[in-house]
Order: sequence, then structure tokens, then C-alpha cells
Amino acid sequence: MAPSLFFSSVVDNYNYEHLQLTENWCLQVHCTRRFYENFVPSFTIYDVECPDHSFRKFTDDGQYLISFSRNNQDLIVYRPTWFSFSCKEEDCSSHDLPVKAKRFESFFTKLYCITLASCNELICKDFFLSMENNQFGLFATSTPQIHDAPANGGAIQGVPFIEKITFHLVRLEDGVILDEKVFHNDFINLTNNMGVFLYDDLLAIVSLRYQTIHVLQIRESGNLVDVRAIGSFCHEDDELFLNSNSQVENGLQQNQPNQGNSLLSGIKQRLLSFIFRGIWNEETDQIVRIQCLKKKFYFHFQDYVDLIIWKVQFLDRHHLLIKFGSVDGGVSRNADQHPAFFAVYNMETTEVVAYYQNSADELYFLFEQFCDHFHATSRNSMYMNFISSHSNNIYALDQLRSIKNKAGSLSQFVKKILASLPFSCQSQSPSPYFDQSLFRYDEKLISATDRHRQSTDHPIKFISRRQPHTLKFKIKPGPEAGSMDGRTKRISSFLFHPFLPLALSIQQTLFLQPAVVNIHFRR
Amino acid sequence: MNSSIGVGGIPAASWVSTTSVSASGKRIQREMVELNSDPPPDCSAGPKGDNLYNWVSTIIGPTGTPYEGGIFFLDIIFPSDYPFKPPKVIFKTRIYHCNVDSAGNVWLDILKDSWSPALTITKVLLAIRLMFTNPDTYSPIVLDIAHMYLADRAKHDELAAEWTLRFAK
Repeated sequence: MAPSLFFSSVVDNYNYEHLQLTENWCLQVHCTRRFYENFVPSFTIYDVECPDHSFRKFTDDGQYLISFSRNNQDLIVYRPTWFSFSCKEEDCSSHDLPVKAKRFESFFTKLYCITLASCNELICKDFFLSMENNQFGLFATSTPQIHDAPANGGAIQGVPFIEKITFHLVRLEDGVILDEKVFHNDFINLTNNMGVFLYDDLLAIVSLRYQTIHVLQIRESGNLVDVRAIGSFCHEDDELFLNSNSQVENGLQQNQPNQGNSLLSGIKQRLLSFIFRGIWNEETDQIVRIQCLKKKFYFHFQDYVDLIIWKVQFLDRHHLLIKFGSVDGGVSRNADQHPAFFAVYNMETTEVVAYYQNSADELYFLFEQFCDHFHATSRNSMYMNFISSHSNNIYALDQLRSIKNKAGSLSQFVKKILASLPFSCQSQSPSPYFDQSLFRYDEKLISATDRHRQSTDHPIKFISRRQPHTLKFKIKPGPEAGSMDGRTKRISSFLFHPFLPLALSIQQTLFLQPAVVNIHFRR
Repeated sequence: MNSSIGVGGIPAASWVSTTSVSASGKRIQREMVELNSDPPPDCSAGPKGDNLYNWVSTIIGPTGTPYEGGIFFLDIIFPSDYPFKPPKVIFKTRIYHCNVDSAGNVWLDILKDSWSPALTITKVLLAIRLMFTNPDTYSPIVLDIAHMYLADRAKHDELAAEWTLRFAK
């Protein structure tokens, strides 16, 4: 299927499904959301007395607050509860809050605490995924990361090494560990869920070291089941097929060493044959065709062979968006500086259906128009409708266009924007306060994307999008009086409840001091 | 012969510019021009990067054979004393064929004892393409496949087609 055809067919399906949802429903939701303009977390309890945990996330149904103990060994799960206190006098609202109410426990009830880490493994506190129904949560523990590890046993050079990585499937209701999946001597990028993508019940885990995409299924019974491994082979039974068809070679002639030339992996064969066919079919004249191949394909052949899988996301249950790049870019932070390529791979037919360079206008225009299709987390995830993107929100689109107009060259701009693909799984908050059609805020300081940000002493303003653009509320991380020491670098993170006017701001200094946690809510 | 010239298979760290190429380099360049002006059907080839001694070739599985629908990539490595020694041809794509070993090495007579300096890259590609339609079952490297080809051609073709579907798409 042609690349644009692939996307337009997806879009058709999407539009169709959306038409089926009654327009009334959409209208209702938007009216209800508007209500949040006047229902805001404008009251702050500064430096709340709270357990010294790393607070990770509210689940998307708002039922759980996920946190880890400071020593990265235990998982502690809370239930957000709306606090209440009684007041005997007449004018209650003018009263200051009682001291007892200003505690973490007034807002959160501890459900359980379980130990996930064992031996020399620690919890990867940047990693957490939850299934759509929020029945199960996926956590990871690992041994320390080792750089400059020798590449042996089929591993690629230049990728760090982790002796053991364990994924734990936990039933969120009661904290029972239902299943585990262990990777040995591998490297999976767990920072901000980078190397793992969950779609419905399908999980894609990228082994950077062995260049394999492990596709697992989370069964309703709470089991993690291997579905397929894409890398050296494409079909789930290719290896079995090969082993059962092993042939006897004429031993007498086997004296020629193979000068380190190995066979192409399954996924590389698919990619290279897709690129080859594209160039071959573009030209009909034999002589022009071979010249084209020489320049565009053979000259760069080794570069294509050396590409590694960096990151993967599902587009739907069959299609994966795979980013390929050089080894250097796979583990570095500024990945947009390196050349990269995107491929759409159908794991059922084992075909590459589209392929783009990271400066491809064509992919950018698809991204600009159909951004929400790249945000696929599942077929029917309701909360995704609430996350502002430039495809569903005019203000976000305006913002993107203004960056585009300011950009020096289109290709640099395209590269920069496409660097966000494939998306990290569950990295955005569906909170209405990040809805750009309701509020305007400085995206450098705060946004729906789950990231640590450098913190300033100024409160972050949320201004109503509608006339007369009034200031609706402020979020100020850190101590009320500001910090004593202006030189210390402070990092903030924000956890917003998906639908209640409730948020946590966590400010940390780079030293190992306890964090300053503020609770923002509507009084 | 200029011994400083990079040999096929070795990264061209001390590669010299085309202005001072040796006899073998000149010969390879001449063959490249010949190949580009009259390429054999379903075949194409060209140097990898700027290393004239290290080529890649693509052969499209010929129609009517069990290899139909497959795209086969091959490395062609020229020795520094080319054309006095034959080039080395290695499949990068898995193939079910009695003249190709499991590591991808091609075992054809013209690439071994029957090599002649009069042969060219175009002729080598033609010979490999012919190998797809007519395997050399008299001097096979994979005996099982040759036996199967002679004893049960239908089964052989079925297996070769499945290999193509699985590994050469």
C-alpha cells in the first residue's frame, strides 16, 4: 500500500467512527469542559507534610496515584480523595483551613505498599504504564546501567548494557504481582517510557542491544504472553522453520572463512527491498534506473545496513511506526541532530508499507493534519480526545504554524517537529487545565507532556482563552516565599488529576534534599 | 601493483583517489560503465560508498521460478589482483539454493576454477541469474537441496518459494 494511502484509509475509518458517535455527545462534552474555566485549582497548600516518595502519576481514570519509595524499592499506591472538614461557624469559606487539613493524608489514602525491587535491582522511577481499563499497571526494575560494555553474542556496538531488566504486571486494585517478564544482558530505554509502547493489550518492547521489537500481549488473566519478536526474523515461526529445514552442506568445500559478512536481518531485508523497489519502479528506462540505484541506493547501502531501531510505536493493532537511526543517536539525548528514518511496518503481513526520511515534507504534512493518529494508544480510549494537539485544537495549530513561519528552513523545522515521533506512550495528561481551547499557559514552564522542567520563582499563570482573557489561576511550585538560594538549580514536575481540580507540584534541588510538594486544589 | 590500495572486504581507511587507481581499479571502472550501459535483466549493481572494490548487487527473483517475488541482495568483493582472481559473491539475503551455503557464499564454477580474466561483472551477474533458473546440481554445496531438486522437483520448488516468501520479500 502506498504510504499516503495507508494514512488516508486510517483517516477514513476514523472519520466514519467519529460520525457514528453522535455530534450531540461531542457538543455535550465540550460544554461540560467549559465548566472547568471556573472550577480551577487556585488554592495552594505550600510545602505540604508528606511522605518522602517519588510521585509518578495519576492513572488516567483518576483512581490511583502511583508513587515509589525514595530508595526505589517499593511501590506505594494512593487513592485520591476529596478532603473534608467541619466548621461550626456561619461564614465557613472565609476561615483559614484547619492545620490538620493541610496534610497529604487529607487528600490521599494509602491503598498498599509492595516491594518490587529485589537483589540488586531498583525501580525505574521514570517508567509506568497502565492498561486502558486501569486494571493492571506495568512497572520496571533493573540493575545499574553499564556504559562501554563489550558487544558480544549478536549485540550491537555502542549501546549500554543492563544485566537484568524485569517488567512487573501489577493488579492496581490490590497490588498483587500477576506476572513478570525478564530481559537479561540487554538495553531497553525506560526513561519516560521511551522503549515500551502499550496499545490496547499489546505491548511493544524495544531491545536496543539486540535490535528486536518484542511484541507481548497482556491477557485478561493477568499474564504477559510473547506474541512475536521482530528483528532477525519477521514471522513468529521463521526461526523454527529455519531450524527444521537445516541442510547438510558439502563439508569438503567448507574452508572459506566468511569475512564478517553476515546475512541481513529480517527487518532490514524488508526495509532494503522496499527502498529498492521504490527506486526501481520510479524509473522505467533501464539505463536511467541503474544510474539512480547506483547513486541513491548502492552508494548508501552500508549506511542503511548500519541503521538501528531507535524507537517504536503502534499506529493500530497491526502497524508499527519504527524510527531508524545511527547507533550514536539511539542513546543520546539530542537525537534530532542525527539522520533518522521512519518506516511503517505491518507486522501481520511482515511488509514495510511506508518509508520516510526525517526531513520528509510529506510525513510532516500528514503529521500536521492527522496528529491524533500518531497518538494512538487504543481503539477506544476516551481520554485521548481531551489531549490538545494541532489536529484537534485551533490554538495548538496556530502555535505550530507560527513556529513554522519563524523557522529558518523548512527542512530544519520538519526535522525538529518530527523528532517527537514515534510518540512516547502515555506521556500526556488529559487534565482539562491543559486544554488549549480553555486556557493559555507558557508551554516552556508547564504542559500536558510529562517532563521535569527547570523551575523559576514566578508562578505559572493559566489565562482564560476566551475574552477577556482573565487570569484564572496560578500554579507555583516550591516554597511559598520562593527559594533562599537563587543559584541552586531547581527542577519541577507537575501531576494533574485527570478530571478533579487537584494537582501536585514537586520541586527538587539537585542535591539530595527532600522535595517540596505543593497541593493545588479548589477550595 | 600498487599495494597501498584498499582490498575488498577491508574498510577503505587508506583509500586513494580515482586519479591514481591501479590496473584493477581501472578495469573495475570500465566494467561498471559496461554494466550501466547494458544491464542484464532483473540485475543491477554498484559500489558501496566510494570503495570501488566493494559492490552490492540486487537480483529480482526471475518470474516463473520459485524465487519470483523475492529481492536478493549480494555483496561482490573484488580482490586487489582482479581480474586475475575472481570476485567473491555472497548473498546477504537467505536463499534456498543448492549452490549457496548457509552463510550466503556462492559456489559456482566460474567463480572458482573456471574463472578467466576475460570474464566481467556483467557475465558474473548473468551467471548468477542463470543459477536461479538452472541450479548446478552436479557440483552443489548443499547436497540435500540438490538431491531434492533431482528427486522431487515439486517439493524443492515449494520449499524454495516458502524461503523466498519468508526471507526475501
